[in-house]
Amino acid sequence: MIGEIDIAGIFISPLLLCMIVGFAVRLLLSRLLEAAGFYRVVWQRPLFDTALFLILTGAAFIVLRLVTRS
Amino acid sequence: MTFDRDTLLRLLKPLLTLLVALIAMLVLWHLYSYYTYAPQTRDGKIRADVVPLAADVSGRVEEVHVRDNQAVHKGDLLFTIDHVRLRNALAQAEAAVATAQATLSAAERENRRYQGLADIVSGQQRDDRRSQAEEARARYAQAIADRDLARINLERSAVRAPVNGIVTNFSLRPGAYATAGQAVMALVDSDSYYVAGYFEETKLSHVRPGAHATIRVMGEDQPLSGHVEGRSAGIDDRERTTAAGTLLANVNPTFSWVRLAQRVPVRIAIDKVPSGIDLIAGRTVTVTLDGAEDALTVRRAS
Repeated sequence: MIGEIDIAGIFISPLLLCMIVGFAVRLLLSRLLEAAGFYRVVWQRPLFDTALFLILTGAAFIVLRLVTRS
Repeated sequence: MTFDRDTLLRLLKPLLTLLVALIAMLVLWHLYSYYTYAPQTRDGKIRADVVPLAADVSGRVEEVHVRDNQAVHKGDLLFTIDHVRLRNALAQAEAAVATAQATLSAAERENRRYQGLADIVSGQQRDDRRSQAEEARARYAQAIADRDLARINLERSAVRAPVNGIVTNFSLRPGAYATAGQAVMALVDSDSYYVAGYFEETKLSHVRPGAHATIRVMGEDQPLSGHVEGRSAGIDDRERTTAAGTLLANVNPTFSWVRLAQRVPVRIAIDKVPSGIDLIAGRTVTVTLDGAEDALTVRRAS
């Protein structure tokens, strides 16, 4: 299903790649939400950001799985 | 009782954030289950049976007919041992057969003659001749057996491939001395390739014999396909040794708080190899069994 991610001969678990993607997308999304004023309806911002990061990581994992299966 | 806008917002704010956090927890649990329970492992190896090939008779290596990394078929000539001495031994044994045969026919002639002279010679003399003939017959049989052994030794001086395979890590040159029974070359049996997947014990309940397996070889794009053939009946107990002197169990007294799941070898037969991939014993593979997805749903349902 999911193989290994090869970075210059070092093979790592694909989960790490998903986490990096999740982190990057979260940064971008946070900035957009900030601009849109969404954070006014957020209660604890660090908790919300962490949750967002996890959800995006999971999403990246599912996308990677779908892409590598076909 | 009416809420103004601010109170409503203050009540809704934690709700929204907590909802997102809850979804995040579910995602985390899903990923955790996948890595802990789904029957897949990154710790797999391609393996093959290796024949450590030895000469059957000792002697100087005379001719080498293969080179390193050459594919050979069962029965192909690999190398020959110097057979001058062995041929000499065979000639000796054949001469011994001739001697024994001559002795035998003489003893039998004499025996027949003595048996015919029943009135003249004593019974003891007749018995002596009969036992002499029997001894000569036994010695003849012994000589035949010795000759057959010498012939086998001479035949075995030519070492042939016992299986289809590939000669590996080979550096035997003519002139080297080969001792009987001591391996001089490794022959990788090319009909014996399989994959050993080292599955953590938490995943073993999802490893069923016959399950289809997708095998990804490190550095190759195309996956191999195979099926689970069986799993090991046991692995070594790392916490326990047997003391040399007393023969009592020596159990490691330092028990670590953090325990790691043991890994159990699962044997996977290779069914299909895409063209362009050479199987090499020792390569690293990732093994995913069918049902890796189901494992999650089953886990959650139970």
